[in-house]
Amino acid sequence: MRWITLLWRIGTVALAIGLALLVAWLIPSSAEYPYRMSRHIEPGQYMFESGVYSPQNGLQISVNATDEVRVYLLGASSLELDNWKTLLREAYPDSESPDLEIFIEFYTVPLLFLHEAYPEQPLPDLFGPQIITTPTKTQSMVWNVTVLDKGLQTHPEIILWNPPPGSTFSHELFPEAVLNIMAVVANPSSNTVEVDVEIKEVLAVAPKDRIIFPAQLLISIGIGLTIIWLFSRKFRKSIF
Amino acid sequence: MGKGRPFLEIFTYVFDEDYRFPILEIFAFLFALATFVFADFAGGYDRTGETMAYSLVNTLCEFPLMFIFVVLILKNVAYGLGGDLDRGVMQTLFSYPLKRRHILTARLLSGLGIAVLLFFGIQIFGLFLLAPDILATYSSTVFLTYAAHLCSPALLLAGLILLLTLRLKRGGLALIIGVILFLAGLIFSGEVTYIAYATDSDVLLKIWAVINPNTVLQAYYYHMGTSGFLFGGETWVPSFSEVLLYLGAGYLIVAVLFIVGYVYFDRRLEI
Repeated sequence: MRWITLLWRIGTVALAIGLALLVAWLIPSSAEYPYRMSRHIEPGQYMFESGVYSPQNGLQISVNATDEVRVYLLGASSLELDNWKTLLREAYPDSESPDLEIFIEFYTVPLLFLHEAYPEQPLPDLFGPQIITTPTKTQSMVWNVTVLDKGLQTHPEIILWNPPPGSTFSHELFPEAVLNIMAVVANPSSNTVEVDVEIKEVLAVAPKDRIIFPAQLLISIGIGLTIIWLFSRKFRKSIF
Repeated sequence: MGKGRPFLEIFTYVFDEDYRFPILEIFAFLFALATFVFADFAGGYDRTGETMAYSLVNTLCEFPLMFIFVVLILKNVAYGLGGDLDRGVMQTLFSYPLKRRHILTARLLSGLGIAVLLFFGIQIFGLFLLAPDILATYSSTVFLTYAAHLCSPALLLAGLILLLTLRLKRGGLALIIGVILFLAGLIFSGEVTYIAYATDSDVLLKIWAVINPNTVLQAYYYHMGTSGFLFGGETWVPSFSEVLLYLGAGYLIVAVLFIVGYVYFDRRLEI
């Protein structure tokens, strides 16, 4: 009988935890901190925005373009980013330019893609004095769609969302881990495209898709064990 | 009859006393829900993954959740043990063919062990659902942070209140003193950094880190993430071996408190 009571208490605790998960699941998520921007993307170029998101704060992105564009959401953990930053610093040891350091910090992925596409290209040539005189040349190399495509072929694991090309996009994403998420809008056409991008942070108590199954499982176990306890009590009463 | 059966009898009795239905269930519900509500992935751009892991676990062990946990522990240790001493139940328990220290072990196993299992079990489960990557990648950071918070305030206060309850032989006053000590520690934790910063001396910080090892972890991880600015400038930048040393010292104090409690209960307690 003691074991049955123990099982019943384990069941009620499981039921309590399951109900807590259910309450967390029922709390609605809210979209906050909208960030809007309008940009012209030159032919064969791409633009890039990044932020840190977690299972409790996802992002809602909507893109409106005047012509057909490609949109990607890429994700990398801070550990991966740190490794890539180290790789870039080791690849260009002679460069002491503060511009390069800022670029490595904020544009790690585009620079990694550039480095992988043009491994022999010395970065000081790209980020030296010519950045002031010929900025378009520098930008065209870093933000080239061909470089992006090569990079994505090499690192397909970082693609979180890759819809078919179009002019209007809307998507909500909660990463499964703490990730640096990068929103990429690429213009593969030969015309300049005007793009309106809005990114909202979506706050949720818990990742809904991940807690509903444990909640159901724990509630079922709890109810099951309680029923066993109730039956055994009834059975015991009927004997004595 | 071996020693196992009477031990189990006493353990079952104290468990039923400590966790009358639905006390255990209410605390399980609160721990589970609060784990999701208070979890904060506020790691900014300048924080490394390890600092983020520390920061996340730290938010789960701060005021509201840790207070609920400490109240549960203090209720069991002070009110439970104090009630047994006050009502004369302890005399009945002493009639069992068990050494006194085994009776105290049964009480602490129920009052402390089950509470610790419940709190940390639910938190690890919640972390697994929220951020499995952090749990897998930075398991040592997660373990160290939980170990620091378990040491102080949880076990340190439990040890102090155990001694106080045994001395006073009643739980009510010990429970109130425990809650006051918890709140005083909370206020002092916030102030000690500012004092260190204002006086440009890390002596007080180091003394407090022995009592509350989370202080040294905070100094270690915040320095790693933000070059020390948030933690009293360059006042104190501990190494990892220092972190382990302070954590070990904290647990040594806890161990001494419990050993004194055991010795007192075993040899000096008169009923």
